[in-house]
Amino acid sequence: MELILFYLAAAISLGTTLMAITRTNAAHALIYFIISLLASAVIFFLVGAPFAAVLEVIVYAGAIMVLFVFVIMMLNLGEAGQRQEQAWLSLSAWIVPAILAAILLAEMVLVLSSSETPIPAQSVTPKQVGESLFGPYILAVEIASMLLLAGLVGAYHLGRRYLEETREDEGE
Amino acid sequence: MSNTELVALLPLISFATVITIVLLAIPFWRNLKGICALSVVGLLISLATILWTTRIVPIQVTPLVLIDQYALLFMTLICLATVAVALLAYDYLKEREGQQEEFYLLLLLAALGAIVLVCSSHFASFLLGLELLGISLYALISFPIRGQATLEAALKYLILSGVASAFLLFGTALIFAALGTLSFNEMVQGFYVDVGSNRLYVMVGSALMLAGICFKLSLVPFHMWTPDVYEGAPAPVTAFVATVSKGAIFAILLRFFIWTDAYQYESILFGLGIIAVLSMLAGNLLALMQSSVKRILAYSSIAHLGYLLVAFIAGRLAGGAALAVEAASYFLVAYFITTLGAFGVVSIMSNGNRERDLDDIASYEGLFSRRPFLATAFTAMLLSLAGIPLTVGFVGKFYIFAAGVQGALASYGWSLLVALIIGSGIGLYYYLRIVFAMTKRPAATDSAATEWITIPVAGGWVMLTLTGTLLALGVYPTPLIELINSMVRSLPL
Repeated sequence: MELILFYLAAAISLGTTLMAITRTNAAHALIYFIISLLASAVIFFLVGAPFAAVLEVIVYAGAIMVLFVFVIMMLNLGEAGQRQEQAWLSLSAWIVPAILAAILLAEMVLVLSSSETPIPAQSVTPKQVGESLFGPYILAVEIASMLLLAGLVGAYHLGRRYLEETREDEGE
Repeated sequence: MSNTELVALLPLISFATVITIVLLAIPFWRNLKGICALSVVGLLISLATILWTTRIVPIQVTPLVLIDQYALLFMTLICLATVAVALLAYDYLKEREGQQEEFYLLLLLAALGAIVLVCSSHFASFLLGLELLGISLYALISFPIRGQATLEAALKYLILSGVASAFLLFGTALIFAALGTLSFNEMVQGFYVDVGSNRLYVMVGSALMLAGICFKLSLVPFHMWTPDVYEGAPAPVTAFVATVSKGAIFAILLRFFIWTDAYQYESILFGLGIIAVLSMLAGNLLALMQSSVKRILAYSSIAHLGYLLVAFIAGRLAGGAALAVEAASYFLVAYFITTLGAFGVVSIMSNGNRERDLDDIASYEGLFSRRPFLATAFTAMLLSLAGIPLTVGFVGKFYIFAAGVQGALASYGWSLLVALIIGSGIGLYYYLRIVFAMTKRPAATDSAATEWITIPVAGGWVMLTLTGTLLALGVYPTPLIELINSMVRSLPL
């Protein structure tokens, strides 16, 4: 039972990643990629890491990928953009990801509703994650904060250059 | 965390403090000179804390970080190199338009990443340090506001480095799957001997990991990015990429191999041997056809990392990791001094608000008559890269040869030595080509070649110090050798 669920989720993950890479349309690729991330979240859940699964959904599938989708959609304003969005809504574009997402949802419902012993025999609780992060791995947290600072400063510097250039162009 | 552990972490803590201070100072005080001075003073304070920490090493602080003499030696090297880069960058940036102060913030963050790398004893800190270094470098490479070349270089580095990190991560995941631990210390007993049926995972994982590391060290066949990135990046950043970034990654590679005794995987060692031979030959051969000084130095750095691998492998083939560590450490010090100096000259030549760095070999023509000091310093650096006696490069290469000769007796060790000799021979040609160009009289019509170059104060002192150290350690290397020896003795070999 557990194995079947795992292989199903793994197959969905692999297949959608492959689709994400081979799509020529960025919006379609992103939809597949989101499904792929959801599938990895289900795998995390099945192997007993519900906290990692939740983070995967919230952070990757939720925040980052939705941001990507919005940015791509906002770059296509105007009438051409509207036609484009019509094309995105064609049945063939969304039906496959929707079915795959439904399968993943069914897996989750099945696991959560099964009355026997919960499928992950032992699971890592958020408390355990927090204890090890702020216990032995405290330095990793500190270094990661520096890592984010580096990303922030770098993005600020490069982004400001772009802003200055567009401002100059508009001035001319 | 006990007091002793906190003291041991002082170098890291002081680095992070300096970064925070610089971060807070920049918005209120947009002053390149001031921020540069602040960073350099901060670096020197960190250097002092490193010296202070020597009393209590070796000490393991949390599972992530091991502060020992090995780590402290490389930390010192990284700090000093960062000071040199910071001073060179001041002259390089001061006449450019726009806000340049963030350069120092990114430089310090990159250096912190390198420092975390050299003292990490766990894959988590290893990967975090690597990414901290990498992410800061993406922004540093494309730092100056100018044409497409820098952006192209940064993008190339971003994508290829990202792929390499992915390889590294996947390799790490496989090793973790097989061994159940990420700590180097815990791999001591179980890494090789007891893996049993998991051997395949460990092998594949190590191979993937090494592919990632070889990319970061720009060894052939993972070297494609090097010349373009070196050419596109601003010269002080190129110096940083060539020295601090590569040195730190090599240090952690060596640490990993010593701690876990991954040397016992004959096939991996053999693969590294092939990479070393290819790097030495391809690096030197490709350098022959270049007309840009930065590209020549890029290929030369590929070859030099190949020499380092010879020490790494042959020292071990000869029967002990002690020789490998000793030879590699000395060679790295020599490589740091020389490469910083060589790119320092390019950086000083390229000061001012230029579109691109002055790295065409033609623009170095007649440098001896125009700027004798700069030309002499550059000549010293090039001779040291070539391994001519009386320079620190000679002693470094001597060490590599000593390791190579001892390793030559064991199995395939002789082929490393042959490639080393051929590579060094080819190397002489292109190093001397630059020296000859500098002695040549420039054609009167060439405006770039007759342009007057002012030697800036900070850069001038950096070059003077580097040239002085290069000669001093070349003539009288004993103090450094003794320092490295005492470090090697403290390792659990």
